[in-house]
Amino acid sequence: MKATIISDKDFQTDLFRNLFEKIIVYFDSKGIETKTISIGRNDLAFCMGCFGCWVKKPGECVMNDMMSQINRNFINSDVVVYLSPVIFGQFSANIKNAIDRWLPNILPFFIKRPDDSTMHPSRYKQYPYVIVVGYGEDISDEDAQLFIDITKKHRNNTEVLIYKGDDEDISQELDKITLRKAGGYL
Amino acid sequence: MKNIILIDSSPKINEKSVSGYLIEKAARRIDDQTANKNFINIRQSFTGHKIQEDYKILINADAVIIAFPLYIFCLPGILMRFLQDYYQFYLENKTKSTNPKVYALVNCGFPEPEINLEAVRVIGSFCRHVNANFRFGIMIGCGGMLLGAEGKPVIKKAVEKLDNAFAEIANDIQNNDTEKKYNILVETMNFPEWIFRFLMNKFGWASNAKKNRLKKKDLYRGPYLL
Ligand SMILES: Cc1cc2nc3c(=O)[nH]c(=O)nc-3n(C[C@H](O)[C@H](O)[C@H](O)COP(=O)(O)O)c2cc1C
Repeated sequence: MKATIISDKDFQTDLFRNLFEKIIVYFDSKGIETKTISIGRNDLAFCMGCFGCWVKKPGECVMNDMMSQINRNFINSDVVVYLSPVIFGQFSANIKNAIDRWLPNILPFFIKRPDDSTMHPSRYKQYPYVIVVGYGEDISDEDAQLFIDITKKHRNNTEVLIYKGDDEDISQELDKITLRKAGGYL
Repeated sequence: MKNIILIDSSPKINEKSVSGYLIEKAARRIDDQTANKNFINIRQSFTGHKIQEDYKILINADAVIIAFPLYIFCLPGILMRFLQDYYQFYLENKTKSTNPKVYALVNCGFPEPEINLEAVRVIGSFCRHVNANFRFGIMIGCGGMLLGAEGKPVIKKAVEKLDNAFAEIANDIQNNDTEKKYNILVETMNFPEWIFRFLMNKFGWASNAKKNRLKKKDLYRGPYLL
């Protein structure tokens, strides 16, 4: 099994290092091969909303930077973990750039979810299971709930955890997750 | 004279954006006699290295109107960068801060305006962090229609509703109302959603692809699978 861990180079606090270490050790103990990618301020251009990844160069961003490697890794992983500081209840800018530019991995067409909301179909048959961990020393309850809503409300096959430094908790939470490829339902 | 900052946060480059359209419309509702209007285009500010100048304007604002598109159900990376760095600027310049009123204009590609709610909440959280007074958001479904069908009867209702919503912002800026305000939802389509899906799926994307000399089947490529 292969995992990719994506983190923010600009927020590598003690708390982050502790969390990162925990996850590496956990994956090691399961015999999972882990690749780590850390994104700095100048590593990724902002998405420019051109939809070239759908109608010009289908499946790929028209800008050439570290993102093609991240997307290639994403698609070929069984599990992807995003470690993001919680900022205003959302992902940090570095992590958000990677999430925006994930768009090439889905198709442009519009379909409906069972709850009648709109979504885009998958481009690939298989996607990794996604675990998003929001971390920070003093995340308010309101911001934590917002981070959970943003991550969970419109996605399937995604788990979200909040880490404020409680190690016991994070191991227990990870143990509850079945690590596997997620299929094609996004 | 109120000092009002209008921010177009569309990440688009050299392309007309819905956010730009919304900012322009909202600005027209604000009386020049009572307000001094300052415009910021985040994309242009990043390109032109003007961000620090923008922050100095922002910290003196009486009201801020932020327009942006929904990107993967929350704020685009470029706006997150702008706000995240502003927070640092704010921490260093706290004493100068003016507790401005803040409004969010969020538009998305899908027809459902309510999916913009979390993005509006992020602006609310930002305001709590920088001692600003978040008032309310305008959430717009299928924002692209506003540009695609500009001046056409299909969006007449939506444009009227938007105009009223902008009038509400203009009023709220001027009065001393502290009462909580609710977000305003605007649907741009006056026809069933399935028609929109059908047209886009059958013709919309394929015709865009054709302009780039691609066939419809090319849209399904999967370049990253090893
Ligand atoms: C990377 C990316 C992600 C997007 N994510 C969403 C989304 O989650 N939901 C949605 O309805 N529209 C989404 N959209 C569509 C935009 O919100 C829509 O095209 C909007 O009208 C663009 O506004 P602008 O012209 O102000 O940039 C996304 C577009 C891009 C480029």
